[in-house]
Amino acid sequence: MTTQTEAASGAPARRFVGADGVRPDGTPIVRISVCRRCASRWFPPRDTCSACAHDELASVEAGTDGVAYASTVVRIGAPGFATPYVLSYVDIDGVRVLAHTDTADRENPQALSPGTPVTFSAGPIRTAGDVELWSYRVRATTPEEDR
Amino acid sequence: MRPVYIAAAAVAPFGKHPDRPAAELGAAAAGELLRGIGLAPDAVEAGFVGSVYGGSLVAQRVLQRVGISGPPVFSVENACASSGAAAHLAWQAIAAGVYDCVLVAGVENLTSLGSGALPLTSADIEVDQGQVMPAAYAMRAQRYLHDTSATVADLTNVTVKNRGNGALNPRAHFQQEVTTAQVDASRPVADPLQLMHCCPNTDGAAAVLLTSEGFARELGTPRALIRASIIRSGRFHTSFRDMTWPDITERSAKAAYEMAGLGPADMDLVELHDAFAIAEFLHAEALGLAERGTAHKAVAGGEFHRDGRVAVSPSGGLLSRGHPVGATGASQLAESYWQLTGAAGALQVPGAQVALAHTTGGGIYGVDNGACSIHILTAED
Repeated sequence: MTTQTEAASGAPARRFVGADGVRPDGTPIVRISVCRRCASRWFPPRDTCSACAHDELASVEAGTDGVAYASTVVRIGAPGFATPYVLSYVDIDGVRVLAHTDTADRENPQALSPGTPVTFSAGPIRTAGDVELWSYRVRATTPEEDR
Repeated sequence: MRPVYIAAAAVAPFGKHPDRPAAELGAAAAGELLRGIGLAPDAVEAGFVGSVYGGSLVAQRVLQRVGISGPPVFSVENACASSGAAAHLAWQAIAAGVYDCVLVAGVENLTSLGSGALPLTSADIEVDQGQVMPAAYAMRAQRYLHDTSATVADLTNVTVKNRGNGALNPRAHFQQEVTTAQVDASRPVADPLQLMHCCPNTDGAAAVLLTSEGFARELGTPRALIRASIIRSGRFHTSFRDMTWPDITERSAKAAYEMAGLGPADMDLVELHDAFAIAEFLHAEALGLAERGTAHKAVAGGEFHRDGRVAVSPSGGLLSRGHPVGATGASQLAESYWQLTGAAGALQVPGAQVALAHTTGGGIYGVDNGACSIHILTAED
């Protein structure tokens, strides 16, 4: 996976996990590798195709619209992550991504229903020491009350 | 290839053993096995020991405690299928005529890792995002409930059934039945899974002795024939995945049934890798024990009970026995061996002639599971 540090003066150091950074509009840069021989798509990006072992892969940027395949509210989680947190498997531009999920009610989060259209944003997923780890996050494209 | 038998088994009782390192638990199981059949350690020609968190040279550290040092021994890591993989390697060696007597063990001490979800591999994009095994299975469960008529109550049925079986198993971590109300009241872990839909973190070890036909005859202990021994790895890709269909289990089962010349309808009992209640539905369907999308109905209808159409996890499964990860495969084989030799006591499936032992797992991104082992065993006359 690709990471980078942005040392904005005064702000905590930020390191990206999974995403390559954030665009001016606040959306994350998520790169996908596409094999030039067999067209397999890979995330995180890689140098060698894991289907055919070809070593020429194109790098494309994913869009910002995906669909939730499944979702859960994690109540006993991984060390370093504040619970509860919502994780969703999301299909976007031919790859499956596991993403933290923003829900309308932060106090009482609910999992996304399978098939929910989602939009990608960038944001923190946890802090490690003085470093804020940022990644892509998703939220339902249409607010719950409008669905 | 030569026929290969299981000729002995032993389990160091599963539970919380904070003061007993994995190697010591392994030695307890291996020692009990050798003493139980009066076998001298120098009769063992090779050893394969499965463990995930046991550390370097765990095979040596287990086996040298019971007098097995000098012959070839191997430490085998394949996540939840570690000692299933160890058994497969032992089977290969005997089938090929290299050895006649090989000891297989699985060992694990998880208490030493602390409580909560198991630590997963580092440098993994999903682990970086806070993935834990309960969350992965929770999402499988959410999707299964979405795609079928199953409900959370069906997940609870699996726990109640398997905990009922485990209540009779003196080797199980949990030896108490639970009620639907107790499962419902247990702590939420990852929606829709509650704590009692998840197997516990357990310490323990198990051992089985694999032999050639000649060695088994000379030994004279009750034996079961290994009709199939299969390992498969997860197919890696990062595109759309149907998480309600564990293709690693399907591929392993297809190969195992073909090797054994048997089919799912021939199974009298199946020790299935129910690390989470949802896993019983997913793997039972992939093993062909129920039509796709209907395993929850089979459980509700009693078809998977000990006296049902096919007994699924009559030992109590991982939900009762616990899941000392590297030891689970050998434990599944030991429980199956006792069933087929009529030595399962209160757990006995009446007239059990054919058993399937299944382990699968491994939390890395891009696969449904990292590794899967399936063994099919049959009783001898």
